[in-house]
Amino acid sequence: MRNQAPEVPRRRFLKTMAATAGSTILAPTIIPSSALGRNGAVAPSERIVVGGIGIGNRGTYDLGCFLQQPDVQFVAVADIKEKRRVEVKKIVDAHHGNADCAMIRDFRELLDRNDIDAVLIATGPNWHATAAMAAAAAGKDMYCEKPVTKNIDQSLILAETMRRTGRVFQAGTQRRNLPHFAFACELARTGKLGQLKRVYAHPAGMQAMMSGWLVPETEPDKNVVDWDMYLGPAAWRPFNSQLLDGFNFEKGGGLVGGGVLEWGSHCVDLCQWAVGDCPPPVQYDAPKDGQLVARYANGTELIFRETGWIPLGSCPVRFEGETGWVEAGDSGKIVLSSPALLAGRDVAEIGGYPATFHVRDFLDCVKTRSQPKGNADAACNAHIACHAANIALHLGRQVNFDNQTHSFINDEPANRLRSEALREPWRM
Amino acid sequence: MSQPQSYQVIVTRITTILLLIASSVCAAETARAMDKEAELLAVLKSDASPAEKALACKNLAIYGSEAAVVELAKLLPDEQLSSWARIALEAIPGSAANAALRDAADKLQGKLLIGMINSLGVRRDAEALPVLKKRLQDVDHEVASAAAIALGKVGGQQAAALLVAALPVATEPHVRSAIAQGCVLCAERMLADGQHAESAILYDLVRGADMPMQRRVEATRGAILARQQKGIPLLIETLHSPERKLFQIGLATARELSGNDVDQALADQLDKLPSERAALLITAMADRPDSAPMAAIMKAAQTDDKTLRLAAVDALRRVGNETCLPVLMQTALDSDTDVATLARQSLAELSGDGVDVQIVKLLAAADDQSSPVLLELVGRRRIEAVAEVLPWLENENSAIRHAALKALGETVTLQRLSLLIEQAVSPKQPEDATAAQQALKVASVRMPDREACAEQLSQAIDRSSVAAKVTLLEILSEVGGVLALKTLDKAARNSDDALQDAASRLLGKWNNVDAAPVLLDLAKTAPADKYRVRALRGYLGLARKFAMPEADRVQMCRSAIDATGRVAEHKLALEVLKLHPSPEGLQLVVMLSKTPELKSDASAAALAIAQKMGGDSVNANELIRAIGLDTIKLEILKAEYGAGAAMKDVTEVVKKQASNVPLIALNAGDYNSSFGGDPAPGVVKQLKIQYRINNKAGEATFAENAMILLPMP
Repeated sequence: MRNQAPEVPRRRFLKTMAATAGSTILAPTIIPSSALGRNGAVAPSERIVVGGIGIGNRGTYDLGCFLQQPDVQFVAVADIKEKRRVEVKKIVDAHHGNADCAMIRDFRELLDRNDIDAVLIATGPNWHATAAMAAAAAGKDMYCEKPVTKNIDQSLILAETMRRTGRVFQAGTQRRNLPHFAFACELARTGKLGQLKRVYAHPAGMQAMMSGWLVPETEPDKNVVDWDMYLGPAAWRPFNSQLLDGFNFEKGGGLVGGGVLEWGSHCVDLCQWAVGDCPPPVQYDAPKDGQLVARYANGTELIFRETGWIPLGSCPVRFEGETGWVEAGDSGKIVLSSPALLAGRDVAEIGGYPATFHVRDFLDCVKTRSQPKGNADAACNAHIACHAANIALHLGRQVNFDNQTHSFINDEPANRLRSEALREPWRM
Repeated sequence: MSQPQSYQVIVTRITTILLLIASSVCAAETARAMDKEAELLAVLKSDASPAEKALACKNLAIYGSEAAVVELAKLLPDEQLSSWARIALEAIPGSAANAALRDAADKLQGKLLIGMINSLGVRRDAEALPVLKKRLQDVDHEVASAAAIALGKVGGQQAAALLVAALPVATEPHVRSAIAQGCVLCAERMLADGQHAESAILYDLVRGADMPMQRRVEATRGAILARQQKGIPLLIETLHSPERKLFQIGLATARELSGNDVDQALADQLDKLPSERAALLITAMADRPDSAPMAAIMKAAQTDDKTLRLAAVDALRRVGNETCLPVLMQTALDSDTDVATLARQSLAELSGDGVDVQIVKLLAAADDQSSPVLLELVGRRRIEAVAEVLPWLENENSAIRHAALKALGETVTLQRLSLLIEQAVSPKQPEDATAAQQALKVASVRMPDREACAEQLSQAIDRSSVAAKVTLLEILSEVGGVLALKTLDKAARNSDDALQDAASRLLGKWNNVDAAPVLLDLAKTAPADKYRVRALRGYLGLARKFAMPEADRVQMCRSAIDATGRVAEHKLALEVLKLHPSPEGLQLVVMLSKTPELKSDASAAALAIAQKMGGDSVNANELIRAIGLDTIKLEILKAEYGAGAAMKDVTEVVKKQASNVPLIALNAGDYNSSFGGDPAPGVVKQLKIQYRINNKAGEATFAENAMILLPMP
């Protein structure tokens, strides 16, 4: 198998279709006409009432995807920052043509509202799992941005909780609902590439990071920025405005945060889909020459690598089998080892990784109670793979994971990194 | 000479050596951990700052042993460091950490106490039952709730008994809800351990109590699963519940409970539930793919209720087989477009070895109404049925003929490709030409042996009209390969202007760099000047578009410049070099800057290349001298990077990189890396710079990752 960027024949690129035109592998969205009023408006009984928790930059994008859906009624925003509460209310009220969007500082008040069916959780990664657990306990379905968890134990508890509470959970792994990624994964999963040998994920940096304890600054008024709620489950430290970057704060938690998790929660997630959403790899080597090799129980390798990708945009993945390979990226295009793999199919070529289809998938499952593509079990496995790789990175040596006991084999240092205590009063 | 050692002996020795290495690695790691623990404990015992102690706690989560527990326990009452200490105590194995947490749970109050209780729950400390029992009665509702959840996590009969006893006397709603959660957690563990009856008692207790709906939802699910097949009546009852949330958990649990009896029981409800609920139940039934009752779903697909029909037809797509073919075919011809479209989709994806055979049989006996659907299915399912498709090419209805052509395009093999070539080159009906050509194109690009395919297409060119020749050339350009390239080269030199036009255009869009020598030669020798220009532009287009060693790309640009004196093409070469920055390319650009007509473009390209190469790879001053630009006095006043309200001050970074040229080369390849992170993930960002050049104020805005070339104020 070659790794150099090859010729990219046009005929191997998929045919382009308008994003809205649908395609053979986009799941149909069915809003029965009986649910539509005379003006095409969705009947109240078919509406899904949604609230938002932590709606910053990414959250605002997600919010836009929700508001595009005719059956969504967005009614409340909870955020620890006053400025964001006001901004989101403005967007939502303008969309619905009313002044009904409630602004709430403490998300628990939002969860207490019985009229809300589902929540969009787009806080920083520090809060994702803890907020998701609270939402499940309150009986809400949820679309939760990634990375979903901070460690292995959180991943397992999250999946167990969603089963126990019967909640619909969609991780913000929107590439699962993009046709070209779906097609690439399908080729791998259904044996069209022959026996699968290697799946590749782009970690986009394997550097660990830790949000420290910075020089104290004057803490703002609680109504402007609620620092205590911002810290949430993270260990206490004094206010410092540099830590208000929720995107990176306590990502991955513990000492091994960051690493492969940021993009791994997308790319590894796709690799997991390609291997049939089986349990995560059982062996993770120490990183070497810019790549880290993990192995599934059946011997298939999951390779985190920084370079060697065909230029297909960000978040690339590559799947190699005995008889063929496929590579895909955020450009919306895929490259195949043989045009025969395409078998004449039209696959929509949607670049730019929009989340619209993923949000739609979530909303459909809220109605049908089916499992969405980025369900908690799938997210759990992908995140465990990332966390375990990060632990191998942190320890600088091979670690071996037992998927029955969910623990590292005869490896106390690694096992101690499986979880981390949450600050009081928060719990999983 | 010694005897060769047996394989087994060698393996045993290697294994022994590996184990010795592993044990010495472990011993070394243990020794390092002990050293590290001593260092960290020294920090905790010192008057180090809280920040240092916090980090020490975090590291003790890995390196700490029971020896660290005493010092960590001292921090548990500390509001700032308590959570840091628990990070270590939750991770350190052994009973000492449990004892320290229990002790603190007995003494602390409020949130700190809740932290201790939570950690005892995480550690599943069975010896904590007395303290948890005490805290279950705490007047602080949050403490009592935490104790209830912790008991649920500890699990076991004793913890369950404490929770069961507490439920009737608890009155505060949050505490009652937490006790119910604890009961369900205990029950879940019992269920996983095979204690079905015991778990069912707990679930029933919760679902029978006055509880928030979500607790009843969880308990109902558990109560059904714990009873296994005997849970079917409760499942059915739940599906009929007037409470929407209970109906929903019924749908979810219907997917979890296994057994054929479940399938039959679910199927029996389709006639008894309102159609909206029945439709959702069908979707749930289809999520049980190994045992979904096909007959019931097919019956639903034939009802008058559209909601139910859509759900059933979609379910058949996922779980159906050849037995569903008649129903789906009938539905595919329905007057309701939504239903018919979905049925065609289901037919296209229907599983089962016999489906293709049956579709071919149906096609052989089809009428004008059903044939378009069947022809579409032949194409979408890639069924080899050329013999059955061919008669439909003679049909009077052009839509049917076109459907047949499309089916052939999707299915024909190389051996039968000539069929489509004839249709494309000499259609019996003029109105079929476009459909035939499209089908030929689809078929051609699908052929695994593209040289063999190109041979058939090339041979057909000789006997075709000019218009057909152009079409075949277009298809050949899509197919690619050696023969296709040769055929297009020949056409580009044909005496017919139309062929020269088509071939030169298509060569410029060739799908790899193999066309480069052909295009360069045409640039010098093509019959008409306009096609020589086009060929050279196509040649540069290849250099621009495809991955290749940068030295090769620069050589292509050099060859293009040598091949013409036209400034326009020289500027195109500059664009290529600018797009793919390299030291070799920069040299060529600097050389071109000596030409007066190119000085301005070449200078801009040189600066752009310098920007992209970044860092220390280019000496800005030398470059400025080489391209003959004047140096300037540049002052950065303010620089901000981000989007909307998320703007980050990057003045210092920009100042550091500024020199005496209007170009600012950042250290890293992109803005986010250069400016220490992404201030607004997922959003298009801008860099805004206020500056002075030669004491004149200016302001400029750059799109994310754009070259920072400051305009002269």
